[in-house]
Parts: sequence; C-alpha cells; structure tokens
Amino acid sequence: MTVRKALAVAAVICVAAACGPKDTSVKIAVAVPLTGDMGTEGQGLRRAVELAVEEANASGRFPYKLVAAPYDDRADPKEAVNVANLIISDPRVVAVVGHYNSGCAISAAKVYARAPVAMVSPAATNPEVTAQQNSPDWAGPRMVFRVVPTDDVQGSYAATFAGGKLGRKRMALLHDKTAYGQGLAEQFKKTFVAQGGRIVSEDGVSVGDKDFKALLTKIKNDPSKAEGIYFGGLYTEAGLLLKQMRELGLKDPFAFISGDGSMTFGLFDVAGDAADGGYLSIVGVPADELPSAKKFVDDYKARFPDDERKPFDHFGYEAANIIMAAMERAGGPDRVKVIQELRKTKHEGVLGTTVFDDKGDTTSKIVTMTRAVAKKRAFDSVR
Amino acid sequence: MLVQQLVNGLTLGAIYSLIALGYTLVYGILTMINFAHSEVLMLGAFMALGLAALLPAVFGTGLVGLAGMFVLSMAGAGLINVIIERFAYRPLRHVSRLAPLISAIGVSIILQNGVFIWVSTQSLPFPEPVAIGQVQVFGATISSLQVIILASALLLMGLLHFFVEYTTIGKAMRACSDDIQTAGLMGINPNYIIALTFFVGGALGGAAGVLYGMNYGSIKYNLGFLPGAKAFTAAVLGGIGNIRGAVLGGFILGFLEVLASGYIPNGAQWRDVIAFTVLIVVLLVRPSGLLGEKLAEKV
Amino acid sequence: MKKILNRRWTPWVALALAAAFPFLAATLDAQYLVRVGGVIGLFMLLGLGLNFTLGYAGLFDLGFIAFYAIGAYTTAIAMRAGVPAPAALVLAVLMSLAIRALLGLTILRLRGDYLAVVTMGFGEIARLTINNLDGLTNGPKGLQVAPWRPLAFFSADPNIQYYLLILLAVVGGVMASSRIEDSRVGRAWIAIREDEIAARLSGIPVRHYKLLAFTISAAFAGLAGGLFAQWEQFVTPESFVFWESILVVSIVVLGGMGSIPGVLVGALVLVGFPPVMQWKLSADWINYRYLFFGLILVLVTLFRPQGILPSSRREAELTS
Repeated sequence: MTVRKALAVAAVICVAAACGPKDTSVKIAVAVPLTGDMGTEGQGLRRAVELAVEEANASGRFPYKLVAAPYDDRADPKEAVNVANLIISDPRVVAVVGHYNSGCAISAAKVYARAPVAMVSPAATNPEVTAQQNSPDWAGPRMVFRVVPTDDVQGSYAATFAGGKLGRKRMALLHDKTAYGQGLAEQFKKTFVAQGGRIVSEDGVSVGDKDFKALLTKIKNDPSKAEGIYFGGLYTEAGLLLKQMRELGLKDPFAFISGDGSMTFGLFDVAGDAADGGYLSIVGVPADELPSAKKFVDDYKARFPDDERKPFDHFGYEAANIIMAAMERAGGPDRVKVIQELRKTKHEGVLGTTVFDDKGDTTSKIVTMTRAVAKKRAFDSVR
Repeated sequence: MLVQQLVNGLTLGAIYSLIALGYTLVYGILTMINFAHSEVLMLGAFMALGLAALLPAVFGTGLVGLAGMFVLSMAGAGLINVIIERFAYRPLRHVSRLAPLISAIGVSIILQNGVFIWVSTQSLPFPEPVAIGQVQVFGATISSLQVIILASALLLMGLLHFFVEYTTIGKAMRACSDDIQTAGLMGINPNYIIALTFFVGGALGGAAGVLYGMNYGSIKYNLGFLPGAKAFTAAVLGGIGNIRGAVLGGFILGFLEVLASGYIPNGAQWRDVIAFTVLIVVLLVRPSGLLGEKLAEKV
Repeated sequence: MKKILNRRWTPWVALALAAAFPFLAATLDAQYLVRVGGVIGLFMLLGLGLNFTLGYAGLFDLGFIAFYAIGAYTTAIAMRAGVPAPAALVLAVLMSLAIRALLGLTILRLRGDYLAVVTMGFGEIARLTINNLDGLTNGPKGLQVAPWRPLAFFSADPNIQYYLLILLAVVGGVMASSRIEDSRVGRAWIAIREDEIAARLSGIPVRHYKLLAFTISAAFAGLAGGLFAQWEQFVTPESFVFWESILVVSIVVLGGMGSIPGVLVGALVLVGFPPVMQWKLSADWINYRYLFFGLILVLVTLFRPQGILPSSRREAELTS
C-alpha cells in the first residue's frame, strides 16, 4: 500500500513536470552544470546561448525554429557522459555548446565523436580537451572546437604585464587546484621566471574555501617580500582573496592579478570596494571597445535584467553564434556538414575574429589587461 | 605574524564552534547526525540578508539594527529546524537509526535546491553591518568585524551554558540527553524537549550563518555544506554530544587550518588532509573525542 | 509484491530482462538508457560492496567512494604503464583491498558515528591526495586511459559492451554476496551487528570478522572503479566527491540494509532517477531535477523506513 502511495506521488511529479507538446524545432544543446556547486556559472552560459538563439530566430536567418536545449551535467564527468549520450540520441540536436569543466568536456567529447556531433566549448581550458583528437584512439572525426583560449595565452600575457608594465620582481602564486586555475598559474610562472622574475611561493587552495587569511598573512610576512599575487581561479575565491588582502593591509602597490575567470561583476558582489585596483586579464577586447561586444552586453542586460553576466557568458554566446553561422553555410541542420563548416570558421563577433587552428582551438591571441573600479562596477582597460 | 594568525584562527574557530554546537546538541539527545544543519545555517544567512533590507526602517542602522537582524534570523533558523524535525525526523525516530539520516540528506538537498531555484542562483552581497574600522595590536591587524564575530559567538556560548546548566528547561534537556526514556518517566515531555533542542541548535546555526555572511561579505545557496562538514568534524573531535567539546573542537579546527596554511610550505592545498589526519590520530588515542565520555558498550 | 519477490524464478526473470535490455532499448529508440543502465550497474556494485560494511557488519562508512577512486586510478595508471586491461582490473581490486585492510586495521576500534566521521575524513584525504599528487595522477587535469573494447565481437557500441560487462560483474557480485551471506561468516556478521557483546560471548572473534567485512567491501568498489575508468577512458578527481559517498550510503539504507535485492533496487531508483528526469523533464523544469530527487529521498524514507526491500531476516527480527 505504502509503496503504491510513494509511486503515485512520484508519478504525479513526473507527469506534472514532463511532457510538453512534441515540437519540431532544431536544437542547439547547452550542456553545462545547471545545478550543484557550479550551477551559477552554468546558468549564465545557458542564458547567453538562449540570447544568441532568440536573436537568430528574430532575425529570420533560418527557415526553421531554433531552440537552445539545456542539459545539466552538474559538473560531474559521469553525468556529462550521460548527457552526451542523451544528446547524440536526439537527432534534432545539431551541435553542442559545452561543457563547462574540463573533466566533463574531455569525457563527453569522446561520446560526441562517435555520433559525430560538433562540440564547441565556451569554458574548458585544459589543452587535452582538443589535443585528444590527435590521439590514435580517437573514435571519430575532428569535431571539438573551443572559443576560449587555452591557459598559455593568458598566463603568459599576465606574466609579461606583471614583470614589464608593473615592474614586479617577486610574485606569490596562488591557484584553486582545478585544471583551469592551476593551468593559468603554471603558465604565469613559466613566463615570469623566464623573464627574470621570481616566484616566492606557490599555494593551492580549494574551490569553496572562504578563509584565506592565514595564507595571506604568511605571504605578507614572508621575508622574501612578494610584490603581488597572481591567482589562477574564479571570481568567488578571487573576490574573497581581494577582500581579505585589503583587510590585512595588503594594499596598493601590492598587486593582485588574475584571469578572465575572475573578471565578472560577481567579483564586486563578493569583494565590494576591495575589488578596486585588482588587475584582471580578458581574452579579446573589452566590451566597451568593440561594437559587437557592446551590443551583447546591452542585449544581455535588457533580456536578463535580474542576472549579472558570468565570466564565460560571452564565450557561450560566441560559441552559439559560430555554430549558427556554420549551420547557415551548411545549408541546413546537418551534423556532419556543420562540423565541416565549423572547421572553416572565420567569425567576427564579440571576441573579435575567431578562426580555429587544426586542433580546433581559437587562434586569437589578443589579451587585454583591465583594472577593476569598484565605484562604477566596471573594468577599465590598462594601456 | 603569530598574533595575526591567532586572531585569524580565533575568528574561524568561533564560527566553527557555533555550528558544531548545533550538531552536538541534537546528537546528544537523539544520537543522530542532523545532516540538514548546514542548510539551516545557509537559510539563517539568507534570512539575515532579507532582514537587512527591511529592518533599517524599523530599528535604524547601527548596533540595534544589527541585534534585531541577529535575533530574528536566529529565531527563524530555529523554527525551520523545528519544522524539519517534526516532519522529516520524528516519524522515523523509533524505526531505525539510519533512516533519519537519509531523510536529513533529502531535506538538505531540497533546501539547497529550493534556494537555488527560488531565491538566487548566484552570490549575493551581504551588507556590512556597521562601519568597519581596523586597529593594530602587536603588529596584527584586527577589524571591528572580527571583534563583533568573536564577541557575539562567545556571548551565545555563554548564554547556552547558562541555559543548559542553570535553568529548569536546561536541566530537562540534560536529563533527556542522559536517558530520554527515563526522563519521560520523570514527567518530562520528550517531544517538547527535542523540539526545543532543535530550536536552540537551529538558532545557533542561524547565528553562525549571519556571522559567516558578515565575515565573508557574500552568501550563496551552497555556502552551508563546507563549514557544516567541518563543524561536524569539530564536534566529533571534541566528543560528539558534549557541549564544551564542540566549542573546543571548533577552535582547535580553526587553529589547525590556520597553522597548516600559514606555516607549512605548500600547506594550503594539504590543509584539509592535515586536519583530517589529526582528527583520525586524536580519535585513535581517545576514541570518544577529546571531552567525550566513554560510550556504553551497547548503544 | 512480496509474493512475486519470493518466487524462485524472480531473479532469473530479472536477469533475463537486464540482459535483453540493450536490444529492447535499441528497438524502443532509447539507447540512452543503456548508458544509464551501465552507470546504475556500477552503483549496484558499489552498493553491494558497502552492504558488507554497513548492511552486514553495521559499520557506518561515509568515505566509501575513496575505494572507487583508488580502483579507477590504479587501473588508469596501470594501463598507461602498459598493463593489459583485465590485469589492470585485478590490480585495482588488489590495491583497493590492501588499502582498505590497512585502514581497517587502524580505525576499526572506533565505534558508530566516530567511525563515520573518520571514514569521511579518509574519503576527503584520498580525493585531495589524488588532486595534489600531480606527478602520479596528473592532479586536477586527469588521466587519459587507452580504450579497451571487450566483447567487441558482440557489439560495436561501447555502451552495450560495458553494460554487459558490468551486468556480468553485478551477477558475480550478487552470487558472491549471497554465498557469503548464508555462510558461517555471514551469520557471524549479523550476530555482531545485532549485539556485539553477545556475539563476542558466543565465541565469535569480533574484531577479525569486522575487519573481514570492512575489507571485502573494497573489492567491489575497486572493480567498479576500474570498469568506470575503462569505460570513460578518462579519470579526474571531480568524479570522487563526498556526495558520491553519501549516494552509496543512501542506496544501501534506502534499498534495505543487508538485503541484496534491496541494494539493487536502491541503486536502480536513486541512480536512475536523475538521468530519467534529465530525459523527460522539459527545459523549464530541468533546474528542479535535484529538488525532486531530494523529495523522493524524503518520501521513500518516510513511507518505507526499513528500506524498499528490507532483508527478510531483519524484518522478521523487527516485527517479532
């Protein structure tokens, strides 16, 4: 009896939640973490892709209706592979924008390769995401693309900036022990040391850590006198680092430099006024200086007035636009033709010009350094 | 540097201790791990954020407003804990020891996802309660915030001590903690005492949530999990079910973390490994925690 | 319900259905479910493993996923060093067993929830160590594993290959579990769980048997981890978080502690539910997936506090 009751409840939930009318639209999958600890970032990417798709539908470029179909990988590689299997079994999905985490992207790409369905990652920076396609074990055509540059571009740029423009000789290195953060930090170190600088300390923290005071106190009091911190990681930890740095009296000219994972308005929510003066690199040109990017910023604000943009949203938007441009050139929603067209991509968009090299990585090497201004919640580019 | 690190450890330890008290109070009476406690903490912080927007109109800013926000958030968090107990744990109380744990995990998932879906999917800035000043003491920078956190945590612990040791209801709580069936025979209504314990534990969790929000300046739907797991560890370290043990465990864990990140080369990424290793070693030497009483052979 | 379950032929029908499932799914255009079925199978193995520790011996373990991780990483590292895939699986099992035995020797004198928190600590220590030892494990960037295609003569689809392989492992696990359960050892465990002192007084070497149950668990987790690494061809620390340990505990408790069919059904429900929701929920509801999961967890616990299919022995004890 009680079993039946429980089953009935479950059935009601299923029925209430599922089963809209069957539609015939063409889908672009957005496979990102929509729940769980990374849900914040995934929801941003979902909005960005939705925005791109809505704009395309409104423009009448396509004779069919396009939909951004959300899939939740929960930042768990196992679920990412589940989702990938679900995506390839739906013939109406033409291509995938995803995944957010490198671990998810690497595992899921192997499934997409078998279909094959193109995957354009807006955020996974581990070189292996695209490099694995050159392995003899690769089970399909080359169909992984990435609009976000790998870590070497940004890490090197930041190191040159710290050593050259800022004239820092001794830097402390921090990262969040993820593929993204550690990759950035390692590249920073390589370039900084090659240019004659010294890394005085190197520490890994955990995503979700809130208290960095002990670590910062150590850096502050270390006899090697670091002149700044380079942090590889995301804005939540970056914001807390900035806030606690200032509370401990690590102020200008002690520098804080980080990458695009920290360059988001969320940084101001976390750090408040302490964000002031933080240096953050961004791939491409800041939105204010590129008309297409400015339009994206304004449209996003208009479409989602309650939600701030997340650090990788413009990459998600660009990934969706690149896929749609390929669909247009391919003359229809054909998975294989779209892959072929994606390889020929030369796209002018919010990131400037995107061209893919023979690994599938963007060839864009433009990085801009910006400085956070808390009062106007903006990032001014540093010349 | 040592003074600064001690201050850092004290602040962290104070927050852990408050959370650990919530676990230990409930455990003392029901011998169950209240897995949803970390979510109560998170909800406390969110209620405080909501109140911070409303209250200045009533109480004004400054310490009165702060106190109002504090008390109301604590009451709210306590109430939520009581409701959870009533609907998710009480029906399972006499059935099996692990069923309430699974139910608690479910409640925790529901609350976290509920806040994610209906409140906010992102970090929300937590207002600074009072203007923050800094003082230099022995070369350490201490902010007024750290003073507030430490003072309110100690105040709450003092109140709890007074309540449990010197009031009639506290006596009833202790009686239930010793032996709930016998206490029932002595005319104590166990349901009432259990609900009260959940209220007190939840209120302390809510207070910790508010302090947490103030200390780190922003709050998010998943903020409860990590400090919850760590505070639970702290409670076990001190001897679960023992109120003084929870406080001691919280401060020890706070110091341990600070020392690991602050003094061991490359210690930050090994910090939790070090903390858990110490926990294991302590428990091997003292299997019931630092202040825990030896468990009876048959529980 | 009860009647059907107690029929002799019930397990055989279930097995036949499970074996035929990939082909049924192909005709129903639901190949996705073959992948999901394989993952459920992996968690059935984990559940069967934890069932020894938690279900039979009553030892509370909140860090079980560490041994899944040890199995996965042992397999990955061995295969990268050129060890053939089946031998890598054996290594994975042995490594998990060895580490589990050492852990058991150290911590098994702890009781109840103290043991729970220490195992939770060990789970985190294992994950962080894997994440931090970049030289051995490549840290957060993970390890690629060369593909191994067992049963390639049978089907070209790796999902079907691994589904069948995992099914085979689950069948083996169930047989082993039920053999051990009915043996002297199994009865000794039940005796210890119900009353440790009485068991000791009856001459059961309690420490010895506890350690045995604790250790055997790891063989299942190590095997599941190895198969997981080979199927995904990639391992990363992100797969082995605390949440997964909680999931395995929930599978055993919700299914029915000490009950083999219970554990299988627990895995089916808890691991199958989110992917099916993913499949069936419309875009507007996709964010609610885990909210519903939490609701299911609470509701099933409230309606079936003994588990969905409690072991008949336990049920008899509790109703008498």
